This record gives sequence, C-alpha cells and structure tokens, in this order.
Amino acid sequence: MQREVEKYRKPIRVLHWVHSGAFVILFITGLFLFIPQLGFLAQDGWTRLIHRVAVVFFVLAPLIYLALDFKGALRGIKQAFSWGIEDIGWLKAAPSYYFLGNEKDMPPQGSMNTGQKLWWFIVIAFGIIFVITGIIMWFFKTIAPVALLQWAVFVHDIAFIVSGAMLFVHIYLGVFHPMMTEAWNSMTNGKISAEYAQAHHGKWYEDITRGK
Amino acid sequence: MAEKAILYDATLCTACRGCQIACKQWNENDEYIPTMENGVASNNRGSYENPADLAPTTWLKMEFREVEAGGKVRWLFTRRSCMHCTEAGCVKVCPSGALYHDAGGFVGYNEDLCTGCGYCVDACPFDVPRLEKNHITGIGKMSKCTFCTTPGLNRIDAGWEPACVKTCPPHALQYGDRGEMLALARQKVAELKAKGWSNANLYGENELGGLHVLYVLDDHPTAYGLPAEPRISAATIAWQDVIQPLGWAVGGATIVGLGLNWLVARANAKKEEKDAARS
Repeated sequence: MQREVEKYRKPIRVLHWVHSGAFVILFITGLFLFIPQLGFLAQDGWTRLIHRVAVVFFVLAPLIYLALDFKGALRGIKQAFSWGIEDIGWLKAAPSYYFLGNEKDMPPQGSMNTGQKLWWFIVIAFGIIFVITGIIMWFFKTIAPVALLQWAVFVHDIAFIVSGAMLFVHIYLGVFHPMMTEAWNSMTNGKISAEYAQAHHGKWYEDITRGK
Repeated sequence: MAEKAILYDATLCTACRGCQIACKQWNENDEYIPTMENGVASNNRGSYENPADLAPTTWLKMEFREVEAGGKVRWLFTRRSCMHCTEAGCVKVCPSGALYHDAGGFVGYNEDLCTGCGYCVDACPFDVPRLEKNHITGIGKMSKCTFCTTPGLNRIDAGWEPACVKTCPPHALQYGDRGEMLALARQKVAELKAKGWSNANLYGENELGGLHVLYVLDDHPTAYGLPAEPRISAATIAWQDVIQPLGWAVGGATIVGLGLNWLVARANAKKEEKDAARS
C-alpha cells in the first residue's frame, strides 16, 4: 500500500465542512438578492431566515474551534500571515504551474502554499467584514443612521463578490483541477500520499519526516 | 398612458384628513380607534395631527405645522405620502423588482415580490416606505402608497382618480395628466404671487427628475417640511451602478478563467500521460 501522511486532523476537517457549508448557504441565499431574475425566490423573506440560521453556524464554528484548540488555530493564522521571498516565487511560477503543469520554477512550499495562505487571509478578513456589516444590518436596522446602513450593504456586497469569486477558485482547485488529485482526500479522510506531499508541500514534508 | 400626477394645493387644504381616511378605506388598511378595549392606548401629543407618523397601515397622512410669520401664527398643512419620483431611489435599490415604474410614471409596488430587505427605506429621500419586520427572523414586508394601483384595488386602470383625490372636499387634491396638472399649478402660483405671496412656488416639477405628486405652496418648501433639494445618496446609486456590474464582471471573469484553466491543464495532463506511456 502507498505510504500516506496526515494532512488535516479531524477537528480541522469538521470545522472546514461546517464553515464552508454555512458559507455556501449564505452565498446562495445572498445571491437571490443580487440577481434580479432570482429575486422571486427570496419572496416573503424566507431566504433571510435561512441566511440568519446559517450565519449562526458560520460564526460559532470558528469560535468553538478557537476555544478548543487556541494554540493550533494561532499557529495556522500565524502561518497564513507570514509571507516571504518564496511566496513571491510562488506567485511568479503559479500561472505556468496551474496551466501547464510546469513545476521546475515552483519553490518548495510549507503545509500551506501561497495560494492557500491567500485564501486563509480572505476567509479571515472577509469573514470579519461580513460579520460586522451583517450585525449592523440585522440588529441596528431601525436605529443606525441611514448612510451607515447603506454603506454596510455596499461593503457586505463587495465582500460577497470578492470572497464568492475566490470560493469558485477554491472549489475548482479542490475538486476539478486535473493536477490537484488529492486535495479532496485531504479534506475528507485527512490523508494524502507521501508522494503528493513531497511534490506539493516539499518543505512541510521535510519537516514532518525529519524526526523519523 | 400619458404621465399622470396628483396636484396638492396647500392653500386650499383645510386639513380635514378625509384623504387619510379614504386612503385607508380603499386600500383596506384598517386602523383601530385608540381605546383601551382595542388594546391601543390613546396618546395626546398636543396636536390635531393624527396618527403620529406614516406607518405600514398609514400610507398618507396630513402634517400640521405652526409657523410664525410677521407676528402672526400660520397653520400649514403638508400632504405626506409617496412622491412617486422619476429618479426613485427605492426603485434603484429594490433587488426583487417589487418596486417599479408604472405606465403613468408613478412608483408601483408588488407586495408579493417584496423580500423585506428594507433597502428602499434607507434609499428614500422623503422617508416614506415603512417596513414591518420581525427583528429576529428578518421576515417582513414593506408598505407604501401604490397610487391606488394595488392589484384588485386598482382605481387607475379602472379610469378613476386615486381615493384621496376623489374624497377631497375643497378640491385641494386634483388628478390628471401631469402636463395639465403642471399648467394648473403654474397658473395658481402666478395668482398667488400677484396677490403678494412672493415665496409662492411649485414643488415637484423638476425635483428628482420630476415628482408625480406636485405641490402648490405659498411659502418656501422647508416651511412645509419638504426637503428643498431632495437627493439620492451616493450609496443608493452605487448599489446598482457599481456593485451590480462589478459583481457580474468579477464573477464572469472568474468562471471563464477557471474554465480556460481546466481546458488547458487537462489537455496538458493528457499529453503528459501519452508521453509517459510512450517512453
């Protein structure tokens, strides 16, 4: 049997699916207000109720994770926000890598490559923007100044456009891209092959195998 | 249908509030007489004005103002309801098409389509739409004057004037083609000026691209509590003119880009497979 290494522990995987499931529901129920032709689906505001139920999961899941594994979460956040010279190299090599499979210019990556770090940054930054503007719209609708409410909607929508587009990229890379063959496994049963780990996350693979 | 309008002549209004009642009656916006038996406490606010404000079941109300001018107290009456703007902020932001411009130029409202988002409430420069909403679930509906075009209660399609106009005893409210109403209003303003009302003016001719409720006033609009220069906020315009095209552009470019990537990367992967098989 092929040798495998654990990429994502179970709590991380549970967090991923709860959080992303909530986000997809939030995205779709929000989309109904964005595309006039789909507006009829939001009739009577039931999608707003679904939106509000989903947001509870969206907010609670990462908070619960933070409470359970604060150190681990901090480590991940720290990693996502530490950028170096190799990240520039990744950005330069990415187009020819993702289109043509050209690996030779790609610097070895840690457990998170630059693209994944970027996605973490978007998830965290826009998650916070979504929640702040959402709280304004939900709880301060009748008391906040009109301009604040209108700009909250504006910012909420900008966040929706950017993170929505990146969600498409994320799903595409995780599920459809011809080279990312093991990304799906890593988030379902947590394991990837040693071979894949070495090719895609060379630095990280070195780190975890050095002690053995 | 030619553009229609309501003309309100504040100098003829006696503030009988018949229009308020006719509006409620025709549009089936029932109200309880404030008594303890009805569960509504009456409340003396020191004015004949009643109720306090526009509400989901009050689409039209008369406002009373006491203004001191030249040592005399004047009692001014303002008709508060939807102004049916040509450049309507509410229509601009409504995501579901529940608010739209009717053939007569006024802002029609299809309550069935309303999602209760309340964007129109924030976008209206006249503070007219009223939202009735459960604050926890977020389920609710907006309400406003429909120019008597509510489906099933459509007076305009039947060739009648709106209920408020129909009932007005001193003919302070008139209804007809907008051009005719403008001519009438200009004539009245000229008469008022000739009588010495130097501030007399016609309100609504050009405001926000032209309102479909016109006002003949004997004093400056602000004396009547009307905004001198009503404006649609930048955020109202941004929602449709920035967010919408931006969203389609970014979303479209992402999907097209990913599709292209898939085609190129798959072709490439197949080629490599072939090369590997050959060697």
